[in-house]
Amino acid sequence: MEKATVLIVDDDPDITEAMTVILEQKGYVVNSAGSIEQAMESLQKQRSDIIILDVMMDTPQDGFILSRQLKQDEKYQNIPILMLTSVQGKIGIDFKSAAGDETWLPVDEYLAKPIKPDVLLKKIESLIRKR
Amino acid sequence: MESLLKSTRRIHSACWLVKLRWAAIAVLGLGAFFAKRALCVALPGKKLYFITGVLFFYNFILLDYIKYLTWEGREPPAKSISRMIMFQISADLFILTTILHFSGGIENPFCFFFVFHMIIASILCSKLHSYIQAVIAIFLFSLIVALEYFGILHHYELEGFAAHGLYKDFTFISGTLFVFAWTLVLVVYMTTSIVEQLREQEEGIEQANKMLKEKDNIKNEYVLRVTHDIKGHMAAIESCINLVYSEMVGPLNEKQKDLIGRAYRRTLKCISFITALLKITRLNLAGKLEKELVHLNRVISSAITTVQNRANQKNISLNYEGTETVYDILGEQVLIEETLTNLLFNAIRYTPSGGRIVLTVKDKSSEYLIQIRDTGIGIPKGDEEKIFEEFYRATNARKVERDGTGLGLSFAKQAVEKHGGRIWVENNPDEGSTFSFTLPKSNNIVNK
Repeated sequence: MEKATVLIVDDDPDITEAMTVILEQKGYVVNSAGSIEQAMESLQKQRSDIIILDVMMDTPQDGFILSRQLKQDEKYQNIPILMLTSVQGKIGIDFKSAAGDETWLPVDEYLAKPIKPDVLLKKIESLIRKR
Repeated sequence: MESLLKSTRRIHSACWLVKLRWAAIAVLGLGAFFAKRALCVALPGKKLYFITGVLFFYNFILLDYIKYLTWEGREPPAKSISRMIMFQISADLFILTTILHFSGGIENPFCFFFVFHMIIASILCSKLHSYIQAVIAIFLFSLIVALEYFGILHHYELEGFAAHGLYKDFTFISGTLFVFAWTLVLVVYMTTSIVEQLREQEEGIEQANKMLKEKDNIKNEYVLRVTHDIKGHMAAIESCINLVYSEMVGPLNEKQKDLIGRAYRRTLKCISFITALLKITRLNLAGKLEKELVHLNRVISSAITTVQNRANQKNISLNYEGTETVYDILGEQVLIEETLTNLLFNAIRYTPSGGRIVLTVKDKSSEYLIQIRDTGIGIPKGDEEKIFEEFYRATNARKVERDGTGLGLSFAKQAVEKHGGRIWVENNPDEGSTFSFTLPKSNNIVNK
């Protein structure tokens, strides 16, 4: 089976690089973007099978904004989103209310930082299988 | 510290009284003139103008005395200011009584102006002293009324205003004095009660403030301990990674070198963040500065040496425009140098290659003005004050450098303010921004 394409949206180049190394070793095609604009650009150029999305970029809400934007767009709403975060569950931030909308944070899975390679791979495989 | 605050406030009260008196002098002079000329009330003009003059003179002496007490930022003992305020109010009572004597005594309805003195006394003095002032007022006024009644003092008729011979009417006098006395006592009672409540509230707020400060200190000590611990771990990580990264324990392939290099640089960034956090927390916790004579010129050239390399790397010209004058200040050299290097590093960081940075020192009578002008990215509108807050980073700064600590400017602000100076930033009309801060001259520093 041909390996899927992954888009990493994170403004931290080191985290992006680390994930790229992990994913490429398993044969995934990896694109990366450091902002909402770059992410949209990259998606227009090459479609993606899964998106790994960081929460805080230029503004602390960028991740939320992009996830909503994608899920409202017919072209992209079927792409599963794996949200990266270094805070979830640890200091009790409620993401749904922090996003300003308690009913709708359209991501499919969460992944906590620091990233463990096996967990990352497992989550990505399960998300792709679900599609 | 608290008594100091109170004594400063008392000085303000004393000045306030002097200001009020200027107004009273003006009103008295004009009022006497108006009553005599326009209303045609028979007033002993010369005598009233003379009293106005005395009041004017006496107010000048008081103003001088206050200046003498607070000369060069001295803090006079609260007791002597209290005594001065008491004296002022008593003297004012005496003068008002004299004015009333020359303008009809009991027949002059302005006798109720004693109420104002009672209110002022109740605000500025203790409860007991306020009642003493009330008793003095009642005694003085009753005295002239009685002396006029018995013919010992001359009575000045308010012809054209009051009915003839009222001052000889026993029923009128006793009735008016009775109401007069009760009015003063009740005014003192009411005002002191209100003032007491306000003082209690104020003390509560002071107490709460003190508690908050203590809590903040506890928090700072906690942060200090935790960051210190983290720094230990980070230092160990840095040492180990450094060994691998520098290939002292064996060669690395390209990918390995790249990844371990990333880890190494992030570790260094983390350590510098922790170091900044430690510095600012220590500064937060430090109460008094250990001041010594600092030669600003030397500190400036040392700071420039520290940052010169970084400026050269970005091809940024860094110039110091100062004179040969020796700028001496009292302060902690380390803090001032750190402030300067922070501001200079910032200027370099946020100025594109090929830009210019100019550092100037200006002599401003009581302080030195140090300015760092760059041709950088400037400060977004509305961020000029926020950038000095801990951890705050301007949006455009974040784009240039993702991992700033957000602590450098807040360190600079606190260090400058601890020295009794100010710090601020303005965007230049053409490009870039100018950071300015002041440091009081060595002979101008009141030990705080």
